[in-house]
Amino acid sequence: MDHILSLLVFFPAMAGLLGFLVAKESIKVYGISVSAIEFFLSIILWIGFDGSNAGYQFVEYYPFIPSYGMSYYLGVDGISLFLVILSTFITMIAFIALSIKDEIKNLIISVLFLEMTMVGVFLILDVIWFYAFWELSLVPMLYIIGAWGSAQRLYAAIKFFLYTFAGSVLMLVGILYIAFLYHDATGIWSFALPDWYRLQMPFDTQLLLFGAFFLAFAIKVPMFPFHTWLPYAHGQAPTIGSIILAAVLLKMGSYGFVRFSLPLFPDASVYFLYPIAIISIIMVIYAAMVAYAQEDMKQVIAYSSISHMGIVVLGTFAMNAEGITGSIFLMLSHGIVSGALFMLVGVIYDRRHTKLMRDFGGLATVMPGFATVYGIMLMASVGLPLTIGFVGEFLSLAGFYKVNWIMTLLAGSGIILGAVYMLTLYKKSFFGEVTHEDNKTLKDLNAKELTALIPLVALVVILGVYPKPILTTIDMSVKKMLVLLEKKAIDPHTSEFIINVNRIGGTK
Amino acid sequence: MEKFVYIALFAPLLSSLLVALFAARPKILFTGILASALIGVSMIASFVLLVDVNAHGALHVKMMDWIDAGNLHIPFGFVVDQVSVIMMVTVTLVSTIVHIYSIGYMDHDKSFNRFFSYLSAFVFSMMILVMSDNFVGLFIGWEGVGLCSWLLIGFWYHKHSASWAANEAFIMNRIADLGMLMGLFLIYWQVGSFQYDIVFAAVKSMDVAIVTTIGIFLFIGAMGKSAQFPLHTWLADAMEGPTPVSALIHAATMVTAGVYLVIRCGELYTLIPHIGFAIASLGAFVAVFAASMALVNNDLKRIIAYSTLSQLGYMFVAAGLGAYWIALFHLMTHAFFKSLLFLGAGNVMHAMHDELNIKKMGGLYGSMKATAILMSVASVALAGIYPFAGFFSKDKILEVAFNHGAYYLWFALFIGAGMTAFYSFRLVMLVFFGEKEYTKYGIHPHEAQPFVIYALMPLGLLAIIAGFFEHSFEGFVTRLLSHYEVHLSHGTEWALIAGTSAIAISGIVFAIYKYSRGGFSKSLENRACYKLLINQYFIPKLYAMYIMQPFTVLSRFLWQRIDVRIVDFTVDLIAKVIYATGQNTRKMQSGNLSDMLRWMIVGMVALLALAIFFRPMV
Repeated sequence: MDHILSLLVFFPAMAGLLGFLVAKESIKVYGISVSAIEFFLSIILWIGFDGSNAGYQFVEYYPFIPSYGMSYYLGVDGISLFLVILSTFITMIAFIALSIKDEIKNLIISVLFLEMTMVGVFLILDVIWFYAFWELSLVPMLYIIGAWGSAQRLYAAIKFFLYTFAGSVLMLVGILYIAFLYHDATGIWSFALPDWYRLQMPFDTQLLLFGAFFLAFAIKVPMFPFHTWLPYAHGQAPTIGSIILAAVLLKMGSYGFVRFSLPLFPDASVYFLYPIAIISIIMVIYAAMVAYAQEDMKQVIAYSSISHMGIVVLGTFAMNAEGITGSIFLMLSHGIVSGALFMLVGVIYDRRHTKLMRDFGGLATVMPGFATVYGIMLMASVGLPLTIGFVGEFLSLAGFYKVNWIMTLLAGSGIILGAVYMLTLYKKSFFGEVTHEDNKTLKDLNAKELTALIPLVALVVILGVYPKPILTTIDMSVKKMLVLLEKKAIDPHTSEFIINVNRIGGTK
Repeated sequence: MEKFVYIALFAPLLSSLLVALFAARPKILFTGILASALIGVSMIASFVLLVDVNAHGALHVKMMDWIDAGNLHIPFGFVVDQVSVIMMVTVTLVSTIVHIYSIGYMDHDKSFNRFFSYLSAFVFSMMILVMSDNFVGLFIGWEGVGLCSWLLIGFWYHKHSASWAANEAFIMNRIADLGMLMGLFLIYWQVGSFQYDIVFAAVKSMDVAIVTTIGIFLFIGAMGKSAQFPLHTWLADAMEGPTPVSALIHAATMVTAGVYLVIRCGELYTLIPHIGFAIASLGAFVAVFAASMALVNNDLKRIIAYSTLSQLGYMFVAAGLGAYWIALFHLMTHAFFKSLLFLGAGNVMHAMHDELNIKKMGGLYGSMKATAILMSVASVALAGIYPFAGFFSKDKILEVAFNHGAYYLWFALFIGAGMTAFYSFRLVMLVFFGEKEYTKYGIHPHEAQPFVIYALMPLGLLAIIAGFFEHSFEGFVTRLLSHYEVHLSHGTEWALIAGTSAIAISGIVFAIYKYSRGGFSKSLENRACYKLLINQYFIPKLYAMYIMQPFTVLSRFLWQRIDVRIVDFTVDLIAKVIYATGQNTRKMQSGNLSDMLRWMIVGMVALLALAIFFRPMV
């Protein structure tokens, strides 16, 4: 178990390299096997994970460039553990559902490399390496969209790449500046995140640095008005690209807020709380309305992702255990639900080669199994209790209520608008008479699709009914982080604010 | 006894899941029987619990933890006390009858199995709603019944109107649910718990302003489920669902969940009588408002739906004024006679080949005597005539309003009672008596299958006798709910009873008199007030014009103008500017030596200027 984290990070990439030697006919099975092994490794990690230890576990530390304090530093805590499992799980499921035949070898190898960068981002504690994984994740995705996408794929791929890349350049400047500050304060160089956590920065510096990191994370999440790459990327990406993009890549941004913005810049986080909350509310309402106006089923789900991520960001900036734990759980649940929804769109696209809702109608009659799974995912997406979608949404909103109830009410309108666009989508596509001739002979879900979808359905229900094991693990690390935040804040108002939003009683 | 709690709760879930296995198959009679039997088991367990609670008091079980984060701990816990056991018995009793009835009603439907799966799932959600020992548990059931209502209203999903109505119901309820969620959040941050007992203990020492806010938020939730104005339009449209669904969900059980919530939170609402009075006023308004729409409607099911709406108003008057046990009593008796009325209407619909216009019926008494008698019994009970069930519960509510000194409310309810009697018997007269209009349409009506009629008998019996349980009911539930003292003299009480009975009887007599002579003249239909009523006060049109349309237009505007033309355009513009700059400045690299030297001079000057005016930090 000593090197399990390194194994988790590099196994997919190594296997991907070996994949070049595998025959084209067996590459899909190879891909599934590799991702399944990776998934089981992550489950072993969970089993070995000490639920009573809030700090980093399975830590691996080796000097990398000691003269500049760069190290190879891995560790996992309650915040990152489940995001790692989500990444490995979704990759496996996406492979099982894969229906692309052309150049499948390159595709599978790209996705395996992508998996390395995803797991790396969540596990690495050295900031330079973090930056490297963060940027490297763009390359396989660029390739996946650009090579296997639809008609406008090159435009979408380049837009995705340049937009997200441009955002993170400022983050690099910020990283270097913090290292410089750390050196100033302690006399030694370090890029280790736990070291940086102990660094207290002056208020004005925090504001600047918060801004530098914010842009990178905001584009990734994506937050309004930096979201326009997302509809193109989803619109053009192949199904597997959309699944991974929505399920995992977006979470890198919101993870960044939890891992970097809050603990590094507590005063700035509290200072910017209201502007960010306003942006989140705009995201929730605006994206939900735009989703309602869409004609393309996949675009509805793409915009719905933006809407849900608004609640994630809001929960994170609630600055209390309920909100942050809830927002991390919502990241997981949104990963599973949006992944499943994109997969379902892929299922119908494979059959009809269209995603426009007006081309469907009455699908419930011809594809009852498909309609059932879609219906379950829809209900999880609108946050019905006892599905996975409810828990995170409820906690995030509950958390933010303590900060500001009017803003919570506005953001809560997402539960209404979510029902509006999802039910409209469902009505247009699944209800009514079958009008198109082509739809009359559609086949229901096949064995392959069921294999991919049933685990997702099971998770939606199981984690909706019993989310506790995951919540308590996340919660412990979140509480530890909150203590750090409160201790570290240089402005007494910040500490007071954090204590206040975590206290029962005294709310208006 | 714990095991009976679980049996009562999970038998419906088991039924739903087992039947769901056959959902896609063609009709299997067995699924209907199995589902009915399992719901019956749940009913028996509920009755056992009723006896037990009566003897030993409330039961409290904690099944397992659910959500745990921060200071928040929510278990799956269930409480079977005097209130919830009454709800359980009512729900399972009506559900069992509706299940059995549906075996006959859905006989020819190709989705027979699916129907039973949904119907049982509804019962399960409703049981969660009434049995939970905390607010979030209640919210699970709250949303669960919403989901089942969506599934069942839109059961015939090939019909546009059905799926539209299903979505409308779900979305309207969601609007109210947001209010309820806000109430829950406020409770949490005040109390740190969602458990009823802890919350109700804590509200007593809380600032009145906060209790008021909680009360308002929770009542907004109740307004959605119980379809109170202005969130009422979905209920009439929900009649698109199969009739057993209308009987069970949209008359007897789900729509009363809002009333249940107010009763359950009685300890909270007692502290804020001004909000209680507002609830009662809204209830009285809806009682008359909905009854007025029922006066002119010609749609068999919509008339009964408006009647339900109106009766929910009566319940809210009682609950708002603090007479919780009376509200619960009316909730129970109403469940019996209203579901009977709906199920009878289902028989009529079958006989009439799904024709709903009562103007096209008439004279059906000849061919369906049993249904006619049952529906007449239900109508008399609804009108509130002694000794039928409605008399006892409705009369009490009027008494409460009078006792409270709320004479306006009393008067509204009084008028409402007259209207109720009138529209009930207008319906009975137009459907069962008078000219046989249906012969013009070549329909040959037939009575429902005997077992369907037998299944309705218990409801008929309860509609007649349930009122006589008034005193034992009061004694039982007031062990938990607060007593309600009536300070009226005997003379006043008798006068009230006589007055209410008189207006109800005159409503009935007037309807019988008018409709046995061919009804009102056609010219009335051109009157403005008729137009207003038949168009439901134009409220659905207003919603469509001023909410749905602007929302759609604004959504398209946001997408096509803001998102594409402004936000994304800006992003592309930045990219284009950078690209164009590159394109243009590329010419500098002409390879011409003198050009290069010139540019070098420019560069040197720029750098020198920088060095002079901008000194580095060092």
